[in-house]
Amino acid sequence: MAAISTRRLGKELKEIHSEGCPVGVTLVSADNFECWYFTIQVMGESEYEGEAFMLKFRFEPTYPIASPAVQFVVGNGQEAPVHPHVYSNGHICASILGNEWSPVLGVISICVTLQSMLASCKKKERPTDNERYVKHAPENPKKTRFEYHDDDV
Amino acid sequence: MAASAALRAQVAAKWQESFNRLNRTEPGISGLTNYSHAWNLAREALRPMDISDPKAKPPGFSLEQVRHACEVLNKCRRLPILLEVFTADVKESFVWINREIDAYMAQYQETNDPVVVSQLVLRLRQWYLAWKPKYPLGSHLTASYTLNFQTHLFAHLPPEFAAGFKALCDLTLIPSESILPAQHAFLPSTSSPLATAMSTDMSSPSQLQTQIHTPTLFSAFDTLGLIDRYDSLLASVGYTFISAHISSTCARQWTKPVLPELRKWMTDVIVPWLVVGYAPGCKSAEEARGMLQGVGSRFDFWVNKCVCDLRTEEIFDIIIDYPESAGALEDLKECLQRVDQRAALVSALRKAQRKRLLHPAAETKVILSQYVATIRCLRIVDPPGVLLYKVADPIRRYLRDRPDTIRAIVANLVGDDDDGGEALLDDSEPVQPLQTAEVEDYTEPNWEPEPIDAGRDFRLNKPSDIISTLVSIYDSKDLFVKELQVMLAQRLLGVRDEEGVERERRNIEILKIRFGEAALQVCEVMLRDMTDSKRIDQHVQTQKPSIVHPTIISKQFWPSLDSSTDIVMPGQFQTLQEAYAKEFMTFKPDKRLKWLPHLGTVDLELELADRVVVATVPALEAAFIELFSESARWTVDDLRARVGAVERPAALKALLTWVDLGVLKEENEGEFILLETAEEGGHARSRPTAPVMAMEEPPIVSSQEQEMAQIQVYWKFIEGMLTNLGPMSLDRVHGMLKLAPDYDRTMDQLAGLLEAARREGMLVVRDGLWRLNK
Amino acid sequence: MKVTVKQWHPVAQWRWDMGDDHTPDEEGDVCGICRVPYEGCCPACKMPGDDCPLMWGQCTHVFHMHCVLKWTNTAASKGLCPMDRRPWSAVPCLLSSSVAFAEHRSFLVTADRKVAR
Repeated sequence: MAAISTRRLGKELKEIHSEGCPVGVTLVSADNFECWYFTIQVMGESEYEGEAFMLKFRFEPTYPIASPAVQFVVGNGQEAPVHPHVYSNGHICASILGNEWSPVLGVISICVTLQSMLASCKKKERPTDNERYVKHAPENPKKTRFEYHDDDV
Repeated sequence: MAASAALRAQVAAKWQESFNRLNRTEPGISGLTNYSHAWNLAREALRPMDISDPKAKPPGFSLEQVRHACEVLNKCRRLPILLEVFTADVKESFVWINREIDAYMAQYQETNDPVVVSQLVLRLRQWYLAWKPKYPLGSHLTASYTLNFQTHLFAHLPPEFAAGFKALCDLTLIPSESILPAQHAFLPSTSSPLATAMSTDMSSPSQLQTQIHTPTLFSAFDTLGLIDRYDSLLASVGYTFISAHISSTCARQWTKPVLPELRKWMTDVIVPWLVVGYAPGCKSAEEARGMLQGVGSRFDFWVNKCVCDLRTEEIFDIIIDYPESAGALEDLKECLQRVDQRAALVSALRKAQRKRLLHPAAETKVILSQYVATIRCLRIVDPPGVLLYKVADPIRRYLRDRPDTIRAIVANLVGDDDDGGEALLDDSEPVQPLQTAEVEDYTEPNWEPEPIDAGRDFRLNKPSDIISTLVSIYDSKDLFVKELQVMLAQRLLGVRDEEGVERERRNIEILKIRFGEAALQVCEVMLRDMTDSKRIDQHVQTQKPSIVHPTIISKQFWPSLDSSTDIVMPGQFQTLQEAYAKEFMTFKPDKRLKWLPHLGTVDLELELADRVVVATVPALEAAFIELFSESARWTVDDLRARVGAVERPAALKALLTWVDLGVLKEENEGEFILLETAEEGGHARSRPTAPVMAMEEPPIVSSQEQEMAQIQVYWKFIEGMLTNLGPMSLDRVHGMLKLAPDYDRTMDQLAGLLEAARREGMLVVRDGLWRLNK
Repeated sequence: MKVTVKQWHPVAQWRWDMGDDHTPDEEGDVCGICRVPYEGCCPACKMPGDDCPLMWGQCTHVFHMHCVLKWTNTAASKGLCPMDRRPWSAVPCLLSSSVAFAEHRSFLVTADRKVAR
């Protein structure tokens, strides 16, 4: 019996192929059902005009019951956006990736949420505890218990 | 003249020396006299005699006399001269022999009777023996005589003699069945009944064989050096004989291997012949074996070659006859190990296939079963599968081009051989999971290099079971699974008894092992729907008996059911449907029924003024006839307006069913009337007592049609790609298509799509490269 | 002419009763969690229908029963509806068909055991 993630991700991928990604979201690779890459750009006027960021999704076999591990790719010419909820190692402090995760969410809705998180940013800066966090951060952002800075993301 | 004096002295000295040699130390000239006497005697003793002259008599010297004379001559060192003289005598006397040769050959030319040749040979032997020095003058003399005699003989034998000799040898090998075992004991025996041979009388051809005593004749051949001279001729006699025997006794004898029989026959018939011919005078079987080693293996090779040629020629029919022809295949396998004729076998089989199998008149299932038989047969002949690969390739290409191949394979897999198609699989074939060709693993301990004649694309570790082989005709097994679902759907909607469903269930169980449980999960659901429908119906019937017995399907798991004819059932049908649906909802409150009115069958009884018509018809037919019970006259278009979306041709077809049954009649173009009373004589086809089945396959969209619809989506892209970039491999097409909007296919699915496009003639594939079909 | 229907073997599809005002779109509605049509089955099931029934929430959201139970059995769900994050509470009436109900119960039991472990 294939993992439930396989069937669900298969559906999501099919939908991406047939309906395309929302504006500003691009599928980079989805060669297996463990790890996908997307790039997101913020459309229209924003602090991040002209910038593109790469997102890495990692799925457990129980996805979508379990949330995916999502982070910005850092290295190889990729940088995490400078944002109060994004650490310089690419980890993201967003409630939908943690305690507000719902299995009706999917890869595309996460991309869109993160897009709007960036779009609504007023001031490009790192979280205040960036250095401390990055120093001790686990490899997988899901292992972190974030205290969410905002309720709206 | 001092010079002449010196010369004289020299001559005198020579003379004295010769004299001394000849006279030796005898007193006076008595030595010389003795020498002269000895010379004359020896010469006379050796002089060839004309045995054709009845007055000629042998000189009659005693052995002692001759020996003495020779001793004298030897002391005088004159023996070499004697030999020279003898040689010259032989040469001179050969005219007598030549005369006889000419006479015999003239007779042979006239009669064409090989016995004349045998007489000639025996006569020549007499000459040879007559002239042969009878005195112990040393083997040197005999050998030189023999050589000399043969030289003259061969110089004179005319070219026609070779033909005569061959004809004669032919007679020495008589058809095996006429030889009794006692007559060919290992060593030739003079007590053989055939020893009556050499009567000089002419006989009728039928008696020819009895006139020839093979051992005597062969010994004459040997004496005269004919065996060495005509070695290849003699061998060809043997070869021809063997060929003839094999083609007369082994042709189309395929049940048992023939080689063991042939070996026995060789031992019984050919070996004795070889012994007299090639090992004359051998004293024991051991000795004979030694002498026959070379020639024996040549003959054994020949047997293998003949059998191989014969079976190669017959191979296509041998395959047709398989498994009855298993013996022939064993033979072929063994022969091919000795005779390198694999290429010939491949080309013969390919030729026969082209001519007899791969043409439009051959049914796909026939091609398939011959292919399967070919697989089975060539596996026996050549287990590594090189031959199979070479002959299978054209069949596979051909099958791939046929639109109904998948269907035929699947039909066979599920035992759908109503129309007499033979099952491709027999029970002995183990049911096993589908295998796919793997990449060679050189670290594998059992790895073996490819056979020497393996082609470029050959792989040892090909799928070996029949089904995997058939499925591997295509790039993907998805196509099969899809077709399987379509066929299962058609069959399930066609069966009306529990038994039919059970049969399908068993088939699916078997197929699950091959295609994997997951691939056939959908089929599982379809079967479950059948059982559930039955159970639900049983329940409904207990609550409220109904003549409606629906099949309730799970939409997501059945192939697209063509709904272009979305009809509304009129009259009583409507009522029946609604009643059933209501009862269903009581039983399953969380579910609703959505009728697929274009499917299903109805058993009807029509009570007409003068007759009762019983018929089992599809839904549309039933809907129409129900409407005719309202009104006796309808136009096609009015009917269509009443039942809803029906194509005109489909509507006409349904009406024609009733016309055929003599219930309706087309009065005007597109206008039908009910025949309350049967028309006189017009409709013999209507037999009110026998229910008429007017059923056909449910209108399920075949997976091929679905694929064609799908490929249209990507076609522009594929077309442009292949136009601009040239032929491409499957994975390349796949890679490029990923750039296309909305592309969501797996490689396997794409393979299916391309395959469908190829069947439609839009694409061609060669060496794994896809290109546009221009 | 009198037409008598002796027997009729029609074909029908079943679908979940989604309420009278519900008109399913062409593809059929899908479960928000597994995104498989309701009439299909959840990723854990092989058979659709009674074996893989739907579960309605008081909030009127509907999922494959197995999907939503998997979710509500996790601590992360905090027992909330995946759609509106209101407390999930199933409407029992639509499970009244005996088979589905028995299935449901046995599923709950198994699920409980799993949790207990």
